[in-house]
Amino acid sequence: MPTRTLKVDYIARVEGESMLDLRIRDGVVDRVRLSIFEPPRFFEALLRGRGYAEVLDIVARICGICPVAYQMSGVHAIEDVLGIQIDAPVRALRRLLYCGEWIESHALHIVMLHAPDFLGYPDAVAMARDHGQAVQRGLALKKAGNELLRLLGGREIHPVNVRIGGFYRVPSRAEFATVVETLKRAGDLAIETARWAATFPFPDITRDYEFVALRHPGEYPMNAGRIVSSAGLDIAAADYESEFLERQVRHSTALRSVLKRRGAYLVGPMARYALNRDHLPAELRSLAGEIGLEPVCRNPFRSILVRAIEVVYACGEALQLIAEYEPPSRPFVPAEPRAGSGYACTEAPRGILYHRYRLDAEGTIEDARLVPPTAQNQDVIEADVREVATAGLELDDEVLQANCEQSIRNHDPCISCAAHFLRLHVDRA
Amino acid sequence: MTGGNKQDILVAAIGNPDRGDDGVGPAIAARLRGKVSKGVRILLTGGDVLALIDEWDAFQKVIVIDAAAPLDRPGRIHRLDIGNGPLSGHFARSSSHAFGLGELVELARNLGRLPCRLVAYLVEGERFDIGAPLSPAVAEAVDTVTQRVIDELLMMRGHNGKRGAQHA
Repeated sequence: MPTRTLKVDYIARVEGESMLDLRIRDGVVDRVRLSIFEPPRFFEALLRGRGYAEVLDIVARICGICPVAYQMSGVHAIEDVLGIQIDAPVRALRRLLYCGEWIESHALHIVMLHAPDFLGYPDAVAMARDHGQAVQRGLALKKAGNELLRLLGGREIHPVNVRIGGFYRVPSRAEFATVVETLKRAGDLAIETARWAATFPFPDITRDYEFVALRHPGEYPMNAGRIVSSAGLDIAAADYESEFLERQVRHSTALRSVLKRRGAYLVGPMARYALNRDHLPAELRSLAGEIGLEPVCRNPFRSILVRAIEVVYACGEALQLIAEYEPPSRPFVPAEPRAGSGYACTEAPRGILYHRYRLDAEGTIEDARLVPPTAQNQDVIEADVREVATAGLELDDEVLQANCEQSIRNHDPCISCAAHFLRLHVDRA
Repeated sequence: MTGGNKQDILVAAIGNPDRGDDGVGPAIAARLRGKVSKGVRILLTGGDVLALIDEWDAFQKVIVIDAAAPLDRPGRIHRLDIGNGPLSGHFARSSSHAFGLGELVELARNLGRLPCRLVAYLVEGERFDIGAPLSPAVAEAVDTVTQRVIDELLMMRGHNGKRGAQHA
């Protein structure tokens, strides 16, 4: 039997550049390689020798889509070193900032990047001809998220207002009042988007993931919680490196993370939802049921529904936080440098983002480690592609390639964060 | 949304002044300030280009200034009168998550949200390094484009005569 090779040189509608190499020999998928070929970005090395106060401006530049996540994991890890306990209103504001990022990032992926796969369009531009209303909803949602980022972060991309101990400046209640109507409207649009996504045709596939996410005793996780898994893991962020291992593979410039004891695992909305659904408001659990989302979703193609639910949640949570907002008596807690190590893990839109820093007595960074969600999902993505390709061996190359690409986009990979990523190369024998 | 008067004209300069020739739009916008008449709004955008659709909703006439990827001559100026046809393939290419001007225009067209009149001035860049200044050829184009945008504004104010794609 001849070899069949599919090679996707650039995977579209993902952040960054990567390729997929798929080889089929004797009717068996014998090689799946997700290759991230963007040059390593060396952010961890770049941080060494810099002052602790510079961290947040540097790490925000890692990603234009999820800069808040980098700032949040960075700020908590540095505060862990310095022994800073932030004030409750500041904690609430950080959660509000994260709501903005979840809204804009998820809306972009759901409507502009992922939906075209289900509806048979090459991209959102073409899809807009026939699904203009849905695209308008996506744009309005993204704008609502951006407005929160601009108000609280100073600007929507690479915010500048977060500082160690709090914020440089906190908005007044009157300033927050200006976005309330926008967020209420966004909440309605998010519900419509969830119902729209529920009408998509979903391939029937079930994957046996080990889900890994944060879990907090009192809230759906964003900035705080322990790292838990569906297989019983339950650790503090400080223990991340004792349970997880980063390793290198020849065909990718991005490091990959595995659980030392069990290998591949999944982070992101599906994991968060599976491990924290009980923290969603009852009406949201009801909406999830209405759109056909099971309490634990193991079909990666249906991750779009989980994202849609999380957008509805983030809109409602943002409104709640604004309604309860009392400006803090001080915008930030003063910080004094000291030597030590600090750890933090927060929930980026794509999953847990781990940061660890070691500072000297002057507050200079001696060592840093950043583990983004996409770096953690690469093994799972390859396994998904293997399963989708195996189920579609009879398909012609064009359809098979489209299915494989879609299965990658299911996880909204951010290659820029992982080092960057997509070309598909299919080799059939 | 800007709340601009429908009779006003929007000049949207796209780019990041800290990324070499990507800063040509902001550099031209800086030159334009104080040289344009009342009723012309100058907008700098270095972030989410998709948001421009909302910005230009309030205007019937829009001029966009941006850097273009290198084709063959750094500093070369392209004027595109974006009417009925799609943007040339050279300018339609964009990145992955980030939507570029080409996609923005076609998205707006498909959503029925293109302004009545949209003209783009694009300057071919040479280098886009972090922290780099404009390359000499691109810096040289700044004054020329500034003057051409001023002329374009006068023409937009005076009449709606159409010109096709041009290269300087």
